[in-house]
Amino acid sequence: MKHDISLTVNGDTYHLSVEPWRTLNEVLREDLNLTGTKLGCGSGDCGACTVMVDGKSVSSCLTLAVEMDGRQILTVEGLAPSGETLHPIQEAFIEKGAIQCGFCTPGMELSALNLLKTNPSPSDAQIRSAISGNLCRCTGYNKIVDAIAEAGRRIKHPSKARR
Amino acid sequence: MPAARFDYIAPTTVEAAVAALVEGGRDTRVMAGGTDLLVKIRHRMLSPKRILSLKQIAGLDAITVDKKNGLTIGATALLADVAAHKGIHRYYPTVAEAAGGTANVQVRNMGTVVGNLCNASPSADNAPTLMAMGAIVDIAGPTGCRSMALDQFFQGPGLTALKPGEIVTAIRVPPPAAGSGTAYHSLSQRGKLDCSAVGVGTLVVLKADRCKDARIIVGACAPVPMRTQAAEKMLIGKKMTDTLIRQAARTASEETSPITDVRASAPYRWKMVSVLVIRALTDARKMAVRKQ
Amino acid sequence: MNAHSIIGKDIPRTDGRAKATGQAIYADDIKLPGMLHGKLLRSPLPHARILSIDTRRAASMPGVHCIITGQDIPRVTYGNWRLFPGTQDEYALAMDKVRFIGDEVAAVAAVDRDAAEAAIEQIKVEYEELPGVFDVASALATGAPVVHDTSPTNISIDRKIAYGDIDAGFAASDYVREDTFTVHAVSHAYMEPCACVAQSDLDGRITLWTSTQTPYIVQCLLASTLNMRENDIRVIKPNVGGGFGGKMELRPWEFCAAFMARQTGRPVKFTLTREEELAFGRRRHPMTVRSKVGFKNDGTLVAKDLHIYLDGGAYNAMGPTATFLSGNFGAMLYRYPNYRYLGEHVYTNKPPASAMRGFGAPQTLFAAETQMNIAAEELGIDPVEIRLKNAMVSGDELPGVATISSCGFIESLKEVRRISGWSRKRKTLKPGRGVGIGCYSFISGGVFNWFNTQYPFSAAEIRAFDDGTVHLLTMASDIGQGSDTVLKQILAETLGLRMEDVRLTAADTAMTPQADLGTWGSRVTLMAGNAVLDAAGKIKERLAGAVSARFDLNVIFDIEFADGRVFAAGKPDRGMTFGEAVAFVQKTQRGEPLVARGSYTPRGKGLVSPAFSFGAQVAEVKVDTDTGLVQVEKMWTAHDCGTVLNPMAVEGQLEGSVQMGLGYALSEQFVMDGGKTLNTTFLDYKIPNAADMPPGESVCIDTFEPEGPMGAKEAGEGLVSPTAPAIAEAVFHATGYRCKDLPITPEKVLKGLGKL
Repeated sequence: MKHDISLTVNGDTYHLSVEPWRTLNEVLREDLNLTGTKLGCGSGDCGACTVMVDGKSVSSCLTLAVEMDGRQILTVEGLAPSGETLHPIQEAFIEKGAIQCGFCTPGMELSALNLLKTNPSPSDAQIRSAISGNLCRCTGYNKIVDAIAEAGRRIKHPSKARR
Repeated sequence: MPAARFDYIAPTTVEAAVAALVEGGRDTRVMAGGTDLLVKIRHRMLSPKRILSLKQIAGLDAITVDKKNGLTIGATALLADVAAHKGIHRYYPTVAEAAGGTANVQVRNMGTVVGNLCNASPSADNAPTLMAMGAIVDIAGPTGCRSMALDQFFQGPGLTALKPGEIVTAIRVPPPAAGSGTAYHSLSQRGKLDCSAVGVGTLVVLKADRCKDARIIVGACAPVPMRTQAAEKMLIGKKMTDTLIRQAARTASEETSPITDVRASAPYRWKMVSVLVIRALTDARKMAVRKQ
Repeated sequence: MNAHSIIGKDIPRTDGRAKATGQAIYADDIKLPGMLHGKLLRSPLPHARILSIDTRRAASMPGVHCIITGQDIPRVTYGNWRLFPGTQDEYALAMDKVRFIGDEVAAVAAVDRDAAEAAIEQIKVEYEELPGVFDVASALATGAPVVHDTSPTNISIDRKIAYGDIDAGFAASDYVREDTFTVHAVSHAYMEPCACVAQSDLDGRITLWTSTQTPYIVQCLLASTLNMRENDIRVIKPNVGGGFGGKMELRPWEFCAAFMARQTGRPVKFTLTREEELAFGRRRHPMTVRSKVGFKNDGTLVAKDLHIYLDGGAYNAMGPTATFLSGNFGAMLYRYPNYRYLGEHVYTNKPPASAMRGFGAPQTLFAAETQMNIAAEELGIDPVEIRLKNAMVSGDELPGVATISSCGFIESLKEVRRISGWSRKRKTLKPGRGVGIGCYSFISGGVFNWFNTQYPFSAAEIRAFDDGTVHLLTMASDIGQGSDTVLKQILAETLGLRMEDVRLTAADTAMTPQADLGTWGSRVTLMAGNAVLDAAGKIKERLAGAVSARFDLNVIFDIEFADGRVFAAGKPDRGMTFGEAVAFVQKTQRGEPLVARGSYTPRGKGLVSPAFSFGAQVAEVKVDTDTGLVQVEKMWTAHDCGTVLNPMAVEGQLEGSVQMGLGYALSEQFVMDGGKTLNTTFLDYKIPNAADMPPGESVCIDTFEPEGPMGAKEAGEGLVSPTAPAIAEAVFHATGYRCKDLPITPEKVLKGLGKL
């Protein structure tokens, strides 16, 4: 019943044998020990499990691992360019107070990336719409919205925008 | 029991898919994006033995817009791609709007318009507009291909007119008639990005100030997204005044048979049908006037 | 007061990097060699006697290592009100009876989740279904089914408060008004579902990593239910994805993980699903609040008679505290010279209600604030004016209950009136638009020792090192609110160090100092903060002595701690670096490290809390009078939380409160069919998303709380209360519809307008 797949996660290629009912979320967390991607609801409503597949944000809890054969996956662990340098989205989330309990953070950051890669200067409403599939119970979202706007500025003008 | 343990196949041609579906029978479920199917499996509402993915079939994700043949949305075309498609924005703006208002970004990056229709949820956000615009479903099956009007497609909650072994390959929307306008209004408690408690799609075709044709489709207020034909009839051939729109809306509301569920009560839905029909007809009229 | 270098600054949280990069470890992220996966079998019936349980078939299934039922575990009840054992009414697994849909009946540990789920399915339970009670009225009816034999009336707890002369008060009133308000249950909806991993050590001791707000409470109750000694249990709190009151008790999966880990010799993990959380999880108490108030014609309050039924669900959980506190919150904000409260906690066959952000305040204050708005309307007085007239001030007393120390309520009212443009908006807004006000007061931790802890309420240990760093150990539990960062700020500021000079280890019951009652009731900043200050003071004393000796200083010299140095005040050259000073002390004690312990226990502070915060909030709404949808356009807040230790963190708490208050007011509710919860996903349990959040503006009122660390007190929990009454009043202002039963659904608005 198992299917052999090769998938690339954060630049590393893995050859796995997976049961067809297992989700990408389970494989990331349980098989690859990439526990940065969270599971908040399992039915695509909360966004805590958001990852990028071939450059698009998806809910990893509703993605079958068997369909990831040959795909490029980016999780929160692959966001920072190195152990010492953070991605502008991560920097902005930390500095703007967009993180409290942190459980929604990885998914929120990837939804932010999904938005900013095509639109680095989003309006407030565009940001809110882009993260409306990512629920947060701590922050009230406003600081997350600020952080995403700030991250967009940093991505657009890497040197200029600071705080 | 644990969520179903299913086998998975991904045929590369429509023919192979149909053959596998015939062989697998009722225990095989067709999957496009999976955003609805996998939730139903998780909640034990379905327990298929095999999932048949359409994603490996080349060309099934195509979206084409042409002036003569109209719009074709392939079975695996994503909600996000429909929502962002320039041609759809230009010629079928309400189709794009309904797709873009379905669920959230992640689901739109995975789910498909055709999948949304095939789940046959009474509240499917994409159904009312497509039905109003006279959309046609292309079906491939063991005895060949056939087409049917979308408003004949829905049979009940979760039930479609598909026969064993059949697969929807695309949905087609004819080119909009001159002087036509469309609108979709939905209502839910959490912004516009939510599962709708009521949805109304309308099409209005104007000639001068007369209504030449009208379609009013109400979602989530009957076992299937339903046409309110008595209300439509009231409009056709008449001058579309605000008063007439209000009267038609009342009639449309009487035609529906909503239930009370976790999202809203029946009396509230009844009331909202008429409010949303007024809004959707008014907007469609506005667009039709502009397009004349 | 000296200018601060760290306190009062927007210091980003120190766990931000770990959380932003996905490296922060939560309970479900923990994986141990040989680990088994646990799953609970829950009751499908709201009220039933268990006749038999057959686990034979399940036990023979592949991968199954352990199955337990109520018959296999010690017959020991637990509950947080340890001081009154009669209130402890829960078993980890049902013994004879199930009392709500979801009540835990059995548990399985198997090699993986699938195997555990499959085995659960094969456990056969024979029930004798009993009639159930699903609301307060039916639970109190004569001859009603009894949920617990120990409470034949179904009332498990009551609490009375009375002062002044209530009858004379009403007799002297010109205007008396009585209303009944009902408020509903809502979910904490923390993003991280509960999870835990238990491991049995080789020496038979248990280590439990669990998503909890209260490691010490879990440690103690786990010990008693396992018949083990307290210190044979080690509870470690990893990162916790929010709690809001929902993770402050021992829970069945924690017990089952530990028990089965001991039985199997293998680690056992439990992780709840979102559906389990929503269908069976703790929730905020629904209440029926009958309130009678008397005023003079000029708006002066004379008397209040308050009677509250709390719908507690199947077990007491934290219900006794909610019963206790509701009476206190009913007496807050305004001066009620004559006051009477009766709170009754009622058992029903529903998932237990328990502590949730506000702990009785959101319910009680929705009633009190709405009634204040009604009275203002009927007396023809502006809602802000009538509040100013009756507002509590510093020094006010609730006889026998509490004394108000710092109080910035009047300033909050005036500020929120100013920043919201209240006076103009009340007069000039168009139909369909409205503004409304709601206020709150909240506690900074509880005084009443219901857990019967034998330790100080909070404790801290500081180890100072000659490299200029310090290590702070505390059992205070950061569950996302940011207390680790704030405690580091307090310590760094006090010792004149930088944030990066402070290492913190928290919430490990075997390593961090005994004890701390955990995170609830907004106690952490005040109590743990004071414990840190206490310990820091002892470190300073030793270092000051070292500098004094080294430079032969006159005893009258003050010693300052700043910029990593310890020196004589006004003579910076008479001093040394912090590290040198530590080395000096260490030399004097022949190598013994410099360690100090501090603690805090509130004493002489009444029955409720050592300090109270205050605030006022204005909401502006737009109501679609055809659909009944309420759109909140903006929220303005002015609040008094004493010294603001970290403005960004306080603002984050405030904005989070608005989100929760907004959901409470408008969109969140459990749809119930008898004892069954029908909406068990986030699709249908509607917490506000980013697009639903209104913009906000806020002001912190500058007060200094003498009992708080550096003048600080509660921030952000109480703020969940004013939002609903403010929105309700704004809806009334916009439409004339007055909501007395939350939530304000579109249907209720339309009905209120006579359109449905």
